[in-house]
Amino acid sequence: MPNAILDPTGTVTTSAAKQAAPRALRPASLQGKRVGLLINTKTNARPFLEEVGRLLEEKYDVSLTRRTKVNFAVPEPEDVIKELTAEADVVITGVGDCGSCSAAAAADGVVLEAAGVPVAAIITESFIPTADAMAALRGAPGYKYATTAHPVAVLTEDKVKERAARVLDDVVALLVEAPGTVDEA
Amino acid sequence: MTAAGTEGAAGDVVAAAPDPDEAQRAIEYCYEQGWSDGLPLVPVSKPLLDAFLATTDKDPEEIIGSLEQVGRDVNVYLAAINAAMAGCKPEYFPVVLAAFEALMGERAARGGGFQSTSGPSPLIVVNGPVRKELGFNTAGGAFGPGFRPNATIPRAIGLLVRNGFGIHPHVLEQATQGLPGRWQVCIAENEEESPWEPFAENGGVAGGVSAVSATLTRTMEFVDNRHTPNHEDVLRDLQDTIGRIGSLIFPLTSVALVLCPEHAQMFAAAGMSKADVQNWLIERSGRTGAEFKSMGKAEVARKGFRGEYEGDDAFHQVLAGPTSIPVIVAGAKNAAISMVVRIFGEWSGTAVPVGEKK
Repeated sequence: MPNAILDPTGTVTTSAAKQAAPRALRPASLQGKRVGLLINTKTNARPFLEEVGRLLEEKYDVSLTRRTKVNFAVPEPEDVIKELTAEADVVITGVGDCGSCSAAAAADGVVLEAAGVPVAAIITESFIPTADAMAALRGAPGYKYATTAHPVAVLTEDKVKERAARVLDDVVALLVEAPGTVDEA
Repeated sequence: MTAAGTEGAAGDVVAAAPDPDEAQRAIEYCYEQGWSDGLPLVPVSKPLLDAFLATTDKDPEEIIGSLEQVGRDVNVYLAAINAAMAGCKPEYFPVVLAAFEALMGERAARGGGFQSTSGPSPLIVVNGPVRKELGFNTAGGAFGPGFRPNATIPRAIGLLVRNGFGIHPHVLEQATQGLPGRWQVCIAENEEESPWEPFAENGGVAGGVSAVSATLTRTMEFVDNRHTPNHEDVLRDLQDTIGRIGSLIFPLTSVALVLCPEHAQMFAAAGMSKADVQNWLIERSGRTGAEFKSMGKAEVARKGFRGEYEGDDAFHQVLAGPTSIPVIVAGAKNAAISMVVRIFGEWSGTAVPVGEKK
């Protein structure tokens, strides 16, 4: 009987490895809701999210709170997640336009959803594989987020606003219960 | 037939030649599992693993690195398998452990470094008697290839990131172009021809003790200057490369200066210590605001992060202090060619002693 060839791969060992992370319940509409903007500090992320927020204020009379991510490359610490859950009914985060920050946006999304807050994470199209991989790793395979074309960092102010307007419907669709559907939880 | 010895002409039992067909099947098996970085792996069996684990006092279960964002821990057991797969000899394993500890001690590696679009590569620096004991290349061709410890130890780190942390190219690893020699850069300092104290001593481990330091780098750029007896001319040449705008994305940067013995000795002969070389370059490395602006990078020429633009005429320094420009001596004393190594983020420079089995 020859010796077996040993497996060099690790397994997910920490608390990140949640099984089937639950998705938060959605409100029927964003009307009058408290929207948290979780800005990841990447170039143009702030004006992008501010414009999304401004459009939501106009359309749905939402109130905005803003936070800057502690470190764009890694998911938010537990205390920030707790504070976000307390201060916002829904959260919009982004813009994931790099290897680590797109993955972190997806991870933040999954964690906040499990804590009961619907999230719309915005990432650029170049990073779909890494966002999907991170979501699966966090127990939410098939996790849905909004995408915008890559790149975002080099856009002028006007173009950023245009992009924000274009992604708005997807963001809203991610945050509210689609008409006629039943709560998943 | 394969395992047993065969009888030589004189009746002595000689070891059978290894079975290449079986070896090839084992190598292909490793490829099929998705474990490889693209090159063949050494298939690892329990006896080989045990030989690695026997070189350290550490418990196989001891966690030696965690990446919170991917939810994975790496322990000594996994490190040993990956080091063996990379082609390390068992006696290299304490150096692998020290290199991994040094690298994971750096904020840039714990953050998003391994996932980054920059595709950074570890730079591992080895000091002390272990260089000679294990047969590291300490002379010509410092950046490789050709020497087993220099080549396989960084590869072990790469395999550990791939298999231990589960960070694969095109998935959680998002390098735009990466860099040549990623997972291949391990230099042993040429202490014998350096006019200064060993690099590890700057990182807190006294000379004469084997130690490893590590960081992530974005690339390295050579400065070939064998044209002048004037050491300040050479410093200006280095300064020109350090300030190159294409490599700058934030107001401050870090470089490791890997000096060839000839340049290092030239500076020392002019009475300069490492600190003198560092301070000379810190003061002068950079570009004017106008130069940054002409390349669309005015935002880089700011007083720190989110600070004000310093103005078209203002000279913008890119190095903050001595920790932004560690100095290492490597290579042969046969030409005046040095390397400016671009650090990914910052490098604490901390040296980790190579653990000895008690």
